Amino acid sequence: MKGLKIKKLSKAMNGLKIVEQVTANFLPGRITALIGPNGAGKTTLFHLITSELKVDKGEIVYGDETITNLPPYLVARKGVGRLFQDIRVFGNMTAFENVATACYGPCFETPWFPFFNLKRMKSINNDIRERAFHWLNFVDLAEKKDHPAASLSYGQQKLLAIARLLAGGFSLLLLDEPTAGLNPVMIKNVLRLLEKIITEDRSKTVILVEHNMGVVNEVADWVYFMNEGRIAFFGRTDHVLGDKEVREIYLGL
Amino acid sequence: MNYVLHLLIMIGIYLILSYGLNLVVGFGGLLSLCHAVFYGIGAYTGTLLMIKAGLPFLPAIFLGMVITGLFALIVGLPALRFRGDSFVLVTLGFQMIVFTILYNWIDLTRGPYGIPGIPRPVIAGVEVTELYQYFILVSLFLVVIVAILFVVCRSPFGLALKALRDDEMAAEGLGKSPVHLFLYAFVISGMVASLAGGLYATYVTYIDPTSFTLDESIFLLAILLVGGTGNMIGPLVGTVFMILLPEALRFLGLPDTVAPNVRQMIYGLTLITLMFLRPQGIAGEFKLR
Ligand SMILES: Nc1ncnc2c1ncn2[C@@H]1O[C@H](COP(=O)(O)OP(=O)(O)OP(=O)(O)O)[C@@H](O)[C@H]1O
Ligand SMILES: [Mg+2]
Repeated sequence: MKGLKIKKLSKAMNGLKIVEQVTANFLPGRITALIGPNGAGKTTLFHLITSELKVDKGEIVYGDETITNLPPYLVARKGVGRLFQDIRVFGNMTAFENVATACYGPCFETPWFPFFNLKRMKSINNDIRERAFHWLNFVDLAEKKDHPAASLSYGQQKLLAIARLLAGGFSLLLLDEPTAGLNPVMIKNVLRLLEKIITEDRSKTVILVEHNMGVVNEVADWVYFMNEGRIAFFGRTDHVLGDKEVREIYLGL
Repeated sequence: MNYVLHLLIMIGIYLILSYGLNLVVGFGGLLSLCHAVFYGIGAYTGTLLMIKAGLPFLPAIFLGMVITGLFALIVGLPALRFRGDSFVLVTLGFQMIVFTILYNWIDLTRGPYGIPGIPRPVIAGVEVTELYQYFILVSLFLVVIVAILFVVCRSPFGLALKALRDDEMAAEGLGKSPVHLFLYAFVISGMVASLAGGLYATYVTYIDPTSFTLDESIFLLAILLVGGTGNMIGPLVGTVFMILLPEALRFLGLPDTVAPNVRQMIYGLTLITLMFLRPQGIAGEFKLR
């Protein structure tokens, strides 16, 4: 069971403090929401966790390992997976290939691997195919398997990215607005997915960045409220969403 | 008949080159402008290992591939720190440096005088001299190389490479290492080009640096852009098209005085038209940025 600890994390860009002294704790087995107005620094915080951006100050600890400023692919190999706000499916690859490539670990991905594992190749490929279809079915995209990802609709691409993420077997999921731009039916599906993820595997840690408070209310146990690069508030979901300050700054109530 | 065999041999050699380059350009999405460098180094190392070290054909070719592979590693390490236009420019820089070395290191390469009298390949006691024999030799190598590249491209490695090509950030987020995967592709592609160089040198029995210029690198890239990249058909279509088109233009019956220039212009015009009609290449699946 690995949790994520963020300690006094700071990041400035062009002299602007985008993330400032953020300290937060994300526990396994639950969905923790990270909310805040546009430009609060939520996506930047994700960029820092996955080393897409370099940390100025502070520390990120996952489990008992420090992952601060580790190259992004190594952070991923520690079990940190991410759903991007701008989705980022592999557009020229089929839906199936998008998910399949997430199933392979690095030891399969040397050019010489197939030549030294001629006999095993068939069973490996079958195994991967099975797993890829499992996740495609999970998001209800099995009949789109041979379509290039770029040809799918926005909502389908989002679901595909979710399937790809789940196929990667990550233990920490950073979800950047998984329901944004989806219709209500799709949102219901994603909600069901989120609940399924966390109930099926209690060792997973989920951080959910979300503007839809209905979604946050429904699935998140705890909420961090971020504003102007700082954590302004933390608490149980009903508590934070009911707070007068949060309602004023963010919800405009 | 000899003319046809000669064209087939040249198509075979260029197929080996373009399939190798396809790994970097089509699967990796990186426009490399120094492929002729690896072709040239393969030709020179193969030749020198045969002439100066007295190695037989096959060991010379294979050792040449290893040396070229190491060289590709040296080029790739700095070049692959860059993407997009910067990568193109860095590979262009290496193209110019290596050409200059080949041209001026007279003691080793004889520079502009070239190396004549390169021995024909001897395989299992048979000297390959006739055109048809050469055609068989090139075809054999081509089949082996294409088979290997076919397996490599369809392997998890090939898939990961395509993922990096389509979205590097997302692929890295799945644990794919850009440095390692691109470097593998770059080195393999260089080694394959080296083999083509060895075949070319022993086929024409004379090499000089002018066969391995920037023009040649651009030509190889053009083959892929015309044929289409990222699959196994594109390089075939592109190579056949780009080699046969200038030959076909010879039969237009143009007056001798203007023929070469007009042919060049028609050649260029055809490429431009093609890019308008099919920007992803004749058999391509996607358009390179
Ligand atoms: N490369 C950059 N250079 C300078 N400022 C940047 C850069 N990238 C983002 N910012 C700024 O950092 C701030 C935080 O951006 P971020 O994307 O993290 O916000 P967010 O909380 O994810 O917002 P949203 O809810 O709209 O997605 C914004 O004010 C943005 O303009
Ligand atoms: Mg954001």
